[in-house]
Amino acid sequence: MRYSYIKPRKKTALSKDMQLLFTFFGVTLSMLFLTYMFLLFRDYRFDQNRAEVLQEERDLRVSIETMKDKITSIENQNILSQRVFTKNIVLKDSIHNLFDLVPGRITLSQAQIMENGLVLYGVTPNKDIYNFMLQAPLRSIFHRTYSSFYPLDNGWFRFVSTNYIDEESNDEY
Amino acid sequence: MNISRQNIYMLFISVLLLTFVLIFSFAVLIPNGKEYRLKRADLKKEYTKLKQLSDFSYDTSTTLQKLQAEHRHIIIAFDTPFSSQRFEKQHRKYFSSLKLSKLQKRENEDNFNVYEVNTTSEINSPKSFYNFLEAVNKSDWIVGVNFPINFQRDGEMIKSSFTMKVYSNNKDKVKDSNTSGNL
Repeated sequence: MRYSYIKPRKKTALSKDMQLLFTFFGVTLSMLFLTYMFLLFRDYRFDQNRAEVLQEERDLRVSIETMKDKITSIENQNILSQRVFTKNIVLKDSIHNLFDLVPGRITLSQAQIMENGLVLYGVTPNKDIYNFMLQAPLRSIFHRTYSSFYPLDNGWFRFVSTNYIDEESNDEY
Repeated sequence: MNISRQNIYMLFISVLLLTFVLIFSFAVLIPNGKEYRLKRADLKKEYTKLKQLSDFSYDTSTTLQKLQAEHRHIIIAFDTPFSSQRFEKQHRKYFSSLKLSKLQKRENEDNFNVYEVNTTSEINSPKSFYNFLEAVNKSDWIVGVNFPINFQRDGEMIKSSFTMKVYSNNKDKVKDSNTSGNL
């Protein structure tokens, strides 16, 4: 026997309103969690990238320091070698000038070229030739010039000429 | 007012979930977002710094390569171990004889070795000595001729003696420290 004119509907715990509610909050919470996961992942990647960048920076700094050391070393070597080469050329010119300075009538037996001085040993036909042709140009070059003569049997003179430049600044390599 | 029990449940769950969403957003998401922005800015700064450093490294490397190319001879000369036999072989053509002997090293002579050089040349060819000094500058080593230089006439020959310094990067590189020969 029927007591109602309508059909009985099934009653469930999840009504349509509840389903709507859960769907809404489900979507909301999913979005929130996804955002949170995204942030966590990005933070992790940032940390990783930062560590890589810092390591790269450290490597670059080491490499730059090494290169700088090499540059300094090459520059120092270049300065030193240029000084050495210049000194050799100056030496060559000094010797050249010395041999040009000695007149044909005077014969040298020994020459000592020093940093600040020159000592010449030799023979001259007479003192005048020595004084005018050798001592005069030596006097114009050196600050102090001393000469000693020793007569020889043939009338010539053996001489020792000692010449100095008063200079304190000498480069020591 | 008639409120069903189901509606009360719904209201309760809604309030509960809303509270959770709010707490999660303000307590977790927003601080995390701030941190994310800070880290992003920080990384950008580090990348800029790295770029500057990388540019500087490139410039330094270019400078070094240029210097190495320009001073190739000098760099090689400093690195080449000195060989007195080779030196004599290369330079004996300027003299009648050339003798090289190494002098005792002093304490402050770290980057060079000193050699005593004795030469004999014909009296009418002092030019050979100038040529020798020019050739020394082009040799395989960095060699500096020192004062005093002593020239002495011996018959038709000129005997000269002087010392020379051979510069090297490493003192141990001088191979034949005690080798000397008379040619």
